[in-house]
Amino acid sequence: MNHTDEEAYAALRGCDMAPNKTAQKLLLQGAQNAWDMLSEEQSQKHITTGSGSLNDILGGGIHCKEVTEIGGVPGVGKTQLGIQLAINVQIPVDYGGLGGKAVYIDTEGSFMVERVYQIAEGCISDIMEYFPCHHDKASSGQENLQPESFLAGIYYFRICSYTEQIAVINYLEKFLGEHKDVRIVIIDSVTFHFRQDFEDLALRTRVLSGLSLKLMKLSKAYNLAVVLLNQVTTKFTEGSFQLTLALGDSWSHSCTNRLILYWKGNERCAYLDKSPSLPVASTPYAVTSKGVRDAGSSSCKRVRVM
Amino acid sequence: MRPPAPKNSAYGQQEPRPGNLLFFLAPHRAAKLSLGCPLLDRLLSGGLPAASVTEIAGESAAGKTQICLQLALLAPLSPHPSSSLFLCSDVPFPLRRLRLLAPKSRPDLLDHVLVAAVHSPSDLLSLLSRAQYHLSHPSHSPHRLPTRVILLDSIASLFRADFDASPADLKRRSGLFFKISAKLKELAHRHQCVVVVTNQVVDVVEGNTGNTVAWSSGRQVSPALGLAWANCVNTRLFVTREVDSNGGSARRHMKVAFAPHLPVRTCEFVIRRDGVFGVEPAQRTPWPWTAGLPPNRTDDDDDRICHVAVCFHGTLENGVSSS
Repeated sequence: MNHTDEEAYAALRGCDMAPNKTAQKLLLQGAQNAWDMLSEEQSQKHITTGSGSLNDILGGGIHCKEVTEIGGVPGVGKTQLGIQLAINVQIPVDYGGLGGKAVYIDTEGSFMVERVYQIAEGCISDIMEYFPCHHDKASSGQENLQPESFLAGIYYFRICSYTEQIAVINYLEKFLGEHKDVRIVIIDSVTFHFRQDFEDLALRTRVLSGLSLKLMKLSKAYNLAVVLLNQVTTKFTEGSFQLTLALGDSWSHSCTNRLILYWKGNERCAYLDKSPSLPVASTPYAVTSKGVRDAGSSSCKRVRVM
Repeated sequence: MRPPAPKNSAYGQQEPRPGNLLFFLAPHRAAKLSLGCPLLDRLLSGGLPAASVTEIAGESAAGKTQICLQLALLAPLSPHPSSSLFLCSDVPFPLRRLRLLAPKSRPDLLDHVLVAAVHSPSDLLSLLSRAQYHLSHPSHSPHRLPTRVILLDSIASLFRADFDASPADLKRRSGLFFKISAKLKELAHRHQCVVVVTNQVVDVVEGNTGNTVAWSSGRQVSPALGLAWANCVNTRLFVTREVDSNGGSARRHMKVAFAPHLPVRTCEFVIRRDGVFGVEPAQRTPWPWTAGLPPNRTDDDDDRICHVAVCFHGTLENGVSSS
């Protein structure tokens, strides 16, 4: 921003506000000392992924006010994790959740309602298992814990082209203003429509960085988590093909956290590739009939038997 | 320069509206297309999902085209009777086999299979645009069912010619994959179509490329067209065949390689004169619904193969439920 002070004053005057007062107020509102930020961050609840070890490497789960990118090869569980987060964000506050709602932007058509229902049922049965006495007492809250209500808490957008994708993300600002209880926005996947014949790659980069800036701003403004699912592509470097996340190097700057899902033999693993506050780490996880869970748990074996 | 706006965007100038998932739930469950066999339907928990692209990958003679032909004939018999659009790039179209599969009592089923030949990726894209018009302007003739099934056999043969392994060509190729897939998915979503695309396989030469790997005929194979295409499908089914060393008949398996709604699991199947049918694993007891039926044995089948004629005519309306 190369505005001079005069220009800034002129702009503020244009808004029909007293320049000095407003500028001061804006500054005071915007500024926050690091101590406040730390205590605020520590009091923040995170969105659980369903797997304890995955939560551990993420520092408690998916963080609000941050953009997290999740990448991996087809079939490794990106969409499963996306759906799981859309359900888990709705765990009521009484049961240690955020009690929020989710926006799910589906660009690929992999969001299957029957699977969402299954994961919601799995989530409810786990809540019942962890809070048996709590549940007995709060019988009034029981009607709240129905898979149907979890489904109703997901605002689902199916989009079929990149113009629609841009339009939906622009519209999100208004939508989130009207739906303040949304605590997570999931885009599955951010990549798909941008891998068609985009001849002007510089334009693609500009459009994408515009989108990511907008999402980052939204995540701060509305205190919500943004989760972007990304595909994996092969890149030819130094005489060999290597797997890398799609959309190129400039895109890789646009997320706060990056989690990479990969296969290690027959085991699914997650690798925290980028985070401003956490060490690089990896852990196995599993996708069970109930959703994303720890590897080696009993519910995982049940699926293998099928 | 602004990117050109795609035509026929349904949103127009309106604000996008989120869909209500509860509204989706009921029709979603009914909208699956049965494979005509309870065992294969159980593998897919009810059949092939609508509004989604399913790939069937497998080596030649694994049974891909057979499954497609069977689906084409089952579409008019499904709870939502519909015609199917069969896009054929592996010339010639197996018309004789289709006639053989169609039950003698229902020759009219063939009227609902619309066949079109495609020769190149651009051919396919223009055909899909025409199909879009056809789907959004259904004819009101009582003899013409709405098209709800799109079968493409096969995607790989479209890309066999005209492309080198040079980086520029690979990039152009994957751009086309995403364009074709976006079009298929758009048709699938807007018109609740079941889209099936078959794919060939290639031998695995390098180590881990991130793509699906399976054993078929003693070789390690991956679906063709690489990782880029793998990103373009929602569900991947892998059909494999193994021939015994002593020259016995081939054992075929259908495996869910990945799917948003299904766990990885496998079912054995056989191809018979009258179609493709699942086989119950030997260690399990026969299914209750096969018990009351008269055994319909042919020489090389055992009695665990589910009853065919019933699958074709009777149980479709009831929709054999599975877990």
